[in-house]
Amino acid sequence: EVDVLVQRVVKDISIALKRHPNIDEIGLIQCPEARYNRSPIVLVENKLGVESWCVKFMLPYVHNKLLLYRQRKHWLDREALVDITCTLLLLNPDFTTAWNVRKELLECGALNPERDLYLSKLALTKFPKSPETWIHRRWVLQHILRQFSAVAHKTQQRVEAEQPDAERSQFLGSHLDRLIHQEMKVCSDAACRYPSNYNAWSHRIWVLQHMAKGNIKVFRDELSSVHPWVSMHVSDHSGFHYRQFLLKELLNTELSQSLSSDSASTVFCPSQHQSNTVHSTCPQANGELSLADAACRDRLTTVFKLFYQETELCADLIQSFPGHETLWSHRRHVYYLWHHW
Amino acid sequence: LKDVIIKPDAPSSLLLDKHADYIAAYGSKKDDYEYTLSEYLRMSGVYWGLTVMDLMDQLQRMNRQEIIDFIKACQHECGGISASIGHDPHLLYTLSAVQILCLYDSLDAIDVDKVVEYVKGLQQDDGSFAGDKWGEIDTRFSFCAVATLALLGKMDTINVDKAVEFVLSCMNFDGGFGCRPGSESHAGQIYCCTGFLSLTGQLHQLNADLLGWWLCERQLPSGGLNGRPEKLPDVCYSWWVLASLKIIGRIHWIDKAKLQRFILACQDEETGGFADRPGDMVDPFHTLFGVAGLSLLGDEAIKPVNPVLCMPEDVLQRVGLQPDLLS
Amino acid sequence: MKLYSLSVLYKGATKANLLKAAYDLSSFSFFQRSSVQEFMTFTSALIAERTSVGTRASVKEQEYLCHVYVRNDNLSAVVISDSEYPQRVCFTLLDKVLEEFSRQVDSIDWPSGNPDTVSYKGLDIHLSKYQNPREADAMTKVQAELDETKIILHNTMESLLERGEKLDDLVSKSEHLGNQSKAFYKTARKQN
Ligand SMILES: CC(C)=CCC/C(C)=C/CC/C(C)=C/CC/C(C)=C/COP(=O)(O)OP(=O)(O)O
Repeated sequence: EVDVLVQRVVKDISIALKRHPNIDEIGLIQCPEARYNRSPIVLVENKLGVESWCVKFMLPYVHNKLLLYRQRKHWLDREALVDITCTLLLLNPDFTTAWNVRKELLECGALNPERDLYLSKLALTKFPKSPETWIHRRWVLQHILRQFSAVAHKTQQRVEAEQPDAERSQFLGSHLDRLIHQEMKVCSDAACRYPSNYNAWSHRIWVLQHMAKGNIKVFRDELSSVHPWVSMHVSDHSGFHYRQFLLKELLNTELSQSLSSDSASTVFCPSQHQSNTVHSTCPQANGELSLADAACRDRLTTVFKLFYQETELCADLIQSFPGHETLWSHRRHVYYLWHHW
Repeated sequence: LKDVIIKPDAPSSLLLDKHADYIAAYGSKKDDYEYTLSEYLRMSGVYWGLTVMDLMDQLQRMNRQEIIDFIKACQHECGGISASIGHDPHLLYTLSAVQILCLYDSLDAIDVDKVVEYVKGLQQDDGSFAGDKWGEIDTRFSFCAVATLALLGKMDTINVDKAVEFVLSCMNFDGGFGCRPGSESHAGQIYCCTGFLSLTGQLHQLNADLLGWWLCERQLPSGGLNGRPEKLPDVCYSWWVLASLKIIGRIHWIDKAKLQRFILACQDEETGGFADRPGDMVDPFHTLFGVAGLSLLGDEAIKPVNPVLCMPEDVLQRVGLQPDLLS
Repeated sequence: MKLYSLSVLYKGATKANLLKAAYDLSSFSFFQRSSVQEFMTFTSALIAERTSVGTRASVKEQEYLCHVYVRNDNLSAVVISDSEYPQRVCFTLLDKVLEEFSRQVDSIDWPSGNPDTVSYKGLDIHLSKYQNPREADAMTKVQAELDETKIILHNTMESLLERGEKLDDLVSKSEHLGNQSKAFYKTARKQN
C-alpha cells in the first residue's frame, strides 16, 4: 500500500518536472498529517512542494530500491532509474552514489546533460551548500566540455578536407557563453540562500578557471557584476574572496600581456610601478615603439584603476558599515596585491 | 558581531557517561529516518562514534565483529571502500575504514594491497588526488590519500613531491589553504593541508606565524571558534582550528579556558552528545570533535588524541606512526 | 543586508494590536513564507508589548535583529532585519514611519484599528526604499539626534520574558499562529 503511494508520488514528481520546465524552486510543506484523496505534490507559481508527512515513506523506499539495484539484487530499467534517483536526490542530494548512477546514464547517452544541470539546480534551491550536488555539476560541465572538444576536433578535421565550419564553432562559442552565464546565476542564487557559501563561490572560481580561461571580458564582467552584490553583503567573506580572485587574475593577465608585448626589446619591471620605468623600457626611437609604449601605459592605467576602484570600495563600505572583519580582511588583501603584483 | 551567548545555566562539566551512552545507543536506531538520511556517509559516522568511544575508553561497548564484517563488505573490486553496502567507493570512506581497522588492530580484515593500489590510482599528473574515479579534486582528498597510506606504512607508493607541490599551490596570502588553487581559506581545509604537510614531513613549507594568526582570529568573544571570518562558532571548528594550531606549534595562542567553556556548553545534559552550538541538536560528528577538542586542551579524563589523524595516541603508537609537529 | 518586515502597532494596556504591516520575504523559501510572516507578526507584537512606553530597544534572535520604538503616545513600530543591516538606519526609519503615520491616521482610530481598517499606505514604499540603507534618505540629521546609548539591547527574545515564562509556551498558546507555523517553529529549533 505504501509502495503504491510512493510509486505514484515518484511518478508525479517526474511528470511535474517534465511538464513544467519552468519550475525554479523545490521545498517542503510542513504538514504532519496526510490529507486523503490528494497528492502530496503541490505546484504553485513554478514552485514544487512536497508535503512533509510523506517524506518519511518516500526516502527509505527510493533509497532501498536504488541500493538493491546497485547490489544487483533487483533490476531497474533506465526510466525507473532516472525517476528514482531524481526523487532521491531532491530529498537527499548528498547521496553520492545516486549522482554516480546518473553519471553512468549520462555516459551511455541515456540521459541529457542539460537535464542534470536542471535537476542539480533545483536541488540547490533547497540545499544550497550540498557539496555532492556541486561536485556533480562540475562533472556534468566537464562532460559537456569533452563533447565540445570532440565536435571541435571533428570540425577541424573537416577544415582540412572541406571549408572551415565557422558557423559550427560560433555555435559552440555561444553555447559556452550561455553555459557560463547559467552557472554564474546558479552560484549567485545559492550565495543568496546561504551566507558565505563556500561551495557556491569555489564552484564559481572553478567555472572561470575551466570554462573561461584567458577570457578577460568574462572576468571584467564578473568584477562589475558582483560589485553591487558584495556592497549588500558586507559580511560575506566568500563573496569578497571571489573579488580578490578576480583582481588577481586580471592583474596577472595585464602583466603577462605587458611582458609579452615588449618581450622583444625590454623588460617590464612590475615591482617598481613608476611610469619612468615603463618609458625607459623602450630604447629605440621610432613611431612603432611609441605605440608599444602607449599600450604599456594603457595597461598600467588599467591596473591603477583596478586598485583605485577597489580601495575606494573598501573605504566606502568600511565607513558605511563599521565593524565588519570581512571588509578589513578584503582591504588587507587588496593592499597585499598592490605590493606584490 | 556574529556569535552566541552562553547562558549561565549551560553545562560546565564534562558528562562522559552520558556521551558514551548516547553513542552506544546511536547505532541501535537503524530503522530511523534520520539514520537512513546519513547512510551515504556511514563509514565516517562509524569512525566518529568509535573514535570518541575509544577516547573515552569505552570502545569495548561497541560490536567489534559486526563492524569488521561491515567494512569487509564495503571493500570493492577496485580496492576502494564505500560508505556503506551498495554505495560507491571513495577516498573519504577508505580513510575512515582504515582508521577504524587501526582502532581494532585488524587491518588484515581487508585486502590492504588493493587499498594501496586504489589510492595510488587516484593521483593525477599535477600531484593532486581525485576523491574517486569520477575525478573531483580537493585538498581534502590529498589528506585522505596520505593519511591512508601513512597508516598502512605505504607512503612511498605515490609521488610525494608532486603531491606536496599541489597542496602548496593551494596556499593563500593569509597563510591558509582552500580546496583548490585560488579557493578561499577554510579551517577544515587548513586542517587537511597542515595534516598533509605533517605526514609528508614538509611542515617547514608553512608560514606558521601568518597561519597561526589567521587561526587565532577564529576565536570569538564566546570562546568558540568559527571556520571563516564572520561565521558563527561551531564545535567542529574547535577541532579543525585547534588541531591545526597544535600541528604548527601555536596552540597556546588562543584562550583555552574560554574555548573549553564554549565546548562544554554545547553538551546536551539530557540526551548526551555535543551539538554545533549551545542548544542545538546533538550528533556523533560534533560529539567526536567536542571530546577530541577537550583532549587537545589537556582534559585528563580523556585519552590524548593525535592532532593529525584524530585518533588516540596509543593507537598510533601501536601502528608505529608519529607524525611531525612544529614546536 | 535585508529588511524583512516593518509594522506599526498600538500598545494597549496588555496587548499590542497591529495597525499595518509590510513584508519582504523574497529571500525565504517559497513554501515557508506564510509561516515566516506569521512569526514576524507574532514577534513584532510580543516585542511591542514587552517594551516600555517611551523607549527604543533592539532584540537579537538568532541571525535576526528586531528594532522597536514605542512612543510616549503608545504608537509603536517594529522593523525586523538581518544582522548586517545598520541599527542606526533602522531607528531613523522607525521615527520617520511613526511620524508619517500619526500625521495621516487620526489617533482616535489607533486603539481599535487593524490592517483592514487603517488606510495608511506608506509602509511598502519605505520597506523597499530602505532595503539599500545607503540609497535611503540622507540620515545625517536624525543621526545626530539619536543617542545610541539610550537603546536597550536584548541578546535573546527570552530576556524580554518574565520569570517562568517560556517562548515555546507563548508560541503554542498563540491564536495568531496556524498549525503549519507551529510545526515550522518546531522544526526550525534545535537545528543548524
Ligand atoms: C580524519 C578526519 C578527522 C577527517 C578526514 C579529513 C576530512 C574529510 C576533513 C574535512 C575537513 C573539512 C570540514 C573541510 C571543509 C569542507 C568545506 C569547504 C565546507 C564548506 O563549508 P560550508 O558548507 O560553507 O559550511 P560552513 O558554514 O560550516 O563553513
